[in-house]
Parts: sequence; structure tokens; C-alpha cells
Amino acid sequence: MNEAELFAKYRATGDVNLRNEIVERYFYVAEILAKKFVGRGVEYDDLLQIASLALIKGVERFDETKGVRFTTYITPTIAGEIKNYFRDRARLVHLPRKVVELKSGARRAAEEIAAETGKPASVGEIASRLGVGEEEVIRAMEAGGVVSLDRPAGDDESGSFYDLLPDASDDYEKLEQRDEVAAALATLSGDERKMVSLRFGEELSQSETARRMGVSQMYVSRMERKVLQKLKENLKKSMA
Amino acid sequence: MKELMTLYFPLGSDKMTTVRLATGGLSALAGLSLDESEDCKVCVTESLLLLMHRGYAAARVVFSLEDGLLVHIAGEGEGEGAPAEEDEISFALLTALNDTVRTEQKNGKLAEIVFRFGEKA
Repeated sequence: MNEAELFAKYRATGDVNLRNEIVERYFYVAEILAKKFVGRGVEYDDLLQIASLALIKGVERFDETKGVRFTTYITPTIAGEIKNYFRDRARLVHLPRKVVELKSGARRAAEEIAAETGKPASVGEIASRLGVGEEEVIRAMEAGGVVSLDRPAGDDESGSFYDLLPDASDDYEKLEQRDEVAAALATLSGDERKMVSLRFGEELSQSETARRMGVSQMYVSRMERKVLQKLKENLKKSMA
Repeated sequence: MKELMTLYFPLGSDKMTTVRLATGGLSALAGLSLDESEDCKVCVTESLLLLMHRGYAAARVVFSLEDGLLVHIAGEGEGEGAPAEEDEISFALLTALNDTVRTEQKNGKLAEIVFRFGEKA
């Protein structure tokens, strides 16, 4: 069934299944347009939702007898809905506070200037009102993109950005580090190992370590410097 | 007409952000509002995509001050590609965001897109 036939049949029957078929056939338009407005401070998923609603409304309003293709009709309709959303809603952004403040300040200043002069505000006027450079205003407006961690990281959609984040408690890494530290400690003398155990295992002060070992605090201090240097070199060698 | 800047670059999607940033800066120089500036950026990107789909190797974008910001976007070299399915949407989006858009053909193929944002647009 071609486009005109499909719409004509839907008008005649009002069959919801036909409407759904039309929406599914043209859903790609909503997806394409939602992507084109990414980067203005609204998540892609939200934009897609707005575009999808506009698509459904558009299916109801489209007049197939006028000789215009549906894609030609629906594109400005969806673009208009998205632009209305930008105008009407606060921007849900997760940006550094300074940028967020500048962004909202710029928006507020733009509205104030427009109200005062009756004309849309220029970037220069906004920058001057906020006491910042024009470039800062532009950069703040540009810095709208928010990337969802659940978004696919590659073209094949096999993994998300979240999957690529290093795990802060990586057990394999810990295991590897423990092996390296154990190997480095094995190169120390008995006294040196005891000092490391008291100072860094039990976290005792140099004085307390000295008391337990029956030596002076100065001796522990010198030994500590020497041992740390030795461990550092051994670890460097094992990681090279 | 006062020419503000001309950008000449090999066409590729990796250049889009740079061109968008330049467009934003030039929109500010031309005194466009924030909404106009955002729309102008979308129009520049869409125009470049249309030229890219037609296989042009490079693009020349000329920004001039003339009753606002006048933008000429032309494909350089011999276009070899066929229009993509998405092009219809790009054209509809261009005209939805700006009603001054006009196109020029060369050898029966889209070669230049011109539009103006600002005072008399």
C-alpha cells in the first residue's frame, strides 16, 4: 500500500492498527530530527519523545489529498514542536555550575532585553548585560550536550559508555598490585619488613614503631626513607 | 555586503562541530539572537550534509554581513554521489527553519545553498 492509499484507508476506517503502521513507517523521521537537535541541552530520548508525539499528531492532521508527501509535511511540524519545547521548558542539563548559571543567565537576559526593546536580543547585548565576553556566552550555549552512560559506545551497539568506565574497585587490579607489593617486600631484611608492618600495616607512629622495635625514632625515620626508596625501585622494575 | 569569513575545508562529518562553532561565533558578530544562531547552525550542518551526500570533496562556506548574516555554502569539485533518502528531510528542515533558503544547480546537481538569518530574514 502506498502512502496516499494508507492514509486514505486510515481516514475511512479510523483503524488504530493502520495509524500505528503509519507511525512505525515514518518513525525514522522522528529519530533523524531528534538527533539533529541534540546538543542544545536536552537528552536525545526526551527529544525523541517530543518528536514521536508530534509524529502521531501529524498523522491525524495530514491531508493526503493536497499532493504533499508526508515527510515534507511532518518535518516542519516535528521541528516546530521541538523548538517549542526548547522555548517552554527549563533546560535539563548536567553541566558545571558556572556554565549552567551562564546559560540560564543568558536566557534570562535575552528575555529581558527582548521585553525592553521589543526585538530579539543579540549575543553581544546579552554578553554586555551579563558582563562577560561574547565567546563565553556562545560557549555556554554550545555546551549543552549531555551523553547518557547507557548510550551505545560504538556503531554496533554492543556496549554502552558505562561499560567502558574503569571499575573503581577492580579486583583483578588489586590482585596484581598485591602480588607486586609482596614481591617487593620479599627483598627487604627482617627488620625492614617488621618496620613496614608496624608503620604501614598497623599504622603506628615512628616513635611507637621505634619503641616496639627497641630502636630510636631517628633510626626508624632513616630506615623508612631507605625502605621506601628500595620498594619504589623494586616496584618500578617489576612494572617495567 | 561585508564578507566576514570564508571557510574552505574537505567535507567530512568530523568537521561539523568546528563549523558549527564558527557559525555560532559569526552569528554573534552579526548580532543574531540565540535562537537564530542555533537555527543557523542547524542550517549550515544540513547544507553541508546535502553536499556531502552528493559526493563533493570539499565545501566553501562564505559568511557575509548583509541585512543580517548571509551564508553561501558551495560544493567544490565534481559531485559524484547520489542524493540520500534523508535529503528530503534535510530540505524540509532547512525551509522550516529559514524561509530565505535558495539553492543553485550545476550540471543538474545541487551545488550551492544560500540563506540569510537576521534583520530582514
